Amino acid sequence: MNFTFRRKRISGLLAIVPANERSFVEEMRNFNFPEARSLKLKEVMGYDKHRLVEPGVCVSDLAVFGLEHLFKHGLLQRDEIDALILITQSPDHFMPPTSNIVQGRLGLKHDTLCMDIGQGCAGFVIGLIQAFLLLEQESIRKVVLINADVLSRKTSPKDRNSYPLVGDAASIAIVERDPEDSTIYANLKMDGTRNEALMIPAGGFRMPSTPATAMLEDVGDNNLRARDHLRMDGSAVFNFVQVEVPPMIESLLAFAGVSMDAVDYFLCHQPNRFMLQKLADKMKVPYARMPMNIVEHFGNSSGVTIPMAITFNLATRLKNGHLQVCLAGYGVGLTWSSMLMRLGGLAFCELINYP
Amino acid sequence: MNEFLTKIANILEENAVKETDKLKAFAQWDSLAVLSVIAMLDANYGVNLRAADFEPVATVGDLWNLVQSRKRS
Repeated sequence: MNFTFRRKRISGLLAIVPANERSFVEEMRNFNFPEARSLKLKEVMGYDKHRLVEPGVCVSDLAVFGLEHLFKHGLLQRDEIDALILITQSPDHFMPPTSNIVQGRLGLKHDTLCMDIGQGCAGFVIGLIQAFLLLEQESIRKVVLINADVLSRKTSPKDRNSYPLVGDAASIAIVERDPEDSTIYANLKMDGTRNEALMIPAGGFRMPSTPATAMLEDVGDNNLRARDHLRMDGSAVFNFVQVEVPPMIESLLAFAGVSMDAVDYFLCHQPNRFMLQKLADKMKVPYARMPMNIVEHFGNSSGVTIPMAITFNLATRLKNGHLQVCLAGYGVGLTWSSMLMRLGGLAFCELINYP
Repeated sequence: MNEFLTKIANILEENAVKETDKLKAFAQWDSLAVLSVIAMLDANYGVNLRAADFEPVATVGDLWNLVQSRKRS
């Protein structure tokens, strides 16, 4: 389905990554594969370093740290936050919502709409859609959109399928009305029949965690993981991206009446460099216009990789000018969504370490 | 067919492969090779396979036949 939003904008963007950095080479001895093949995987997929939280660090810790940073530097006022949307697949608790926890820890006003959304790799785009919808209300002038995940805590270190690419991170986007007469276009599709392609099988109400779900098992491909761990059907996800994402973006650009050449950057979710190269090849987009360097530096932090690709690669240009950008998120659900906007004039656009 | 054999040989880091060669007999046949083959078939033949589709595939020739049948369907 298609969406149109008028007079809305992102006015600031902050990414927060754990200071704790690990490397593929130091971790590959945990994998049950010959070293030469793991090194080949590193080369092809573009794995190198990734950022992981220390034990015990939660989504709200990253979010509160980032918001305190903005308050301290006068980039955001505590009392101007009307809505706080938090997108995560790794909440602090099942209940209460993590957004309420963040509101409480920061002492924000009671006139704040707090809302958690359970979305993964498409989460940043889904969150923007929700933020724009809220801004239709007069009482909501400023939305803080937090996207955060600490999924390394649910990933088996002996699973070469997932562990080398996982990363933890958070982002904070300030979303508000645009005084200029701008239009943002978006589209979205979901397919719940493929919900098992990316999944943490145990730990919810369907399959509560027990000592049995915590047992590491060889699932037949030399990777050891438990049912408490994140599980990814890599080839199914690869196929999904190659089949669904290029037509989605084509359809978005047709809807907006904008040509591929008029898009300065395609800012896509970053699963790994390999998938992004194949996606760019299929869309006939030059690699220079599709950043693909987030996984090798920080790991894949699901939806947060889009704001990370922006803050890591385009900060100066977006503080001093504007760019026509196409965002695209795709993953868990399955969900895929893209958005075309003029991004720029940002009050802040930076990436900081936690702590 | 020759071009297909060359591409498979490149992925498996072999000088050449034959139709009768068994995929599982190659030292380099692992999940990375499977994904590389999937990506190659998508880019060059417009065929989208999943890892599960490889289960009945024993030889290089079986894979070629699978690709041909998917191209027609």
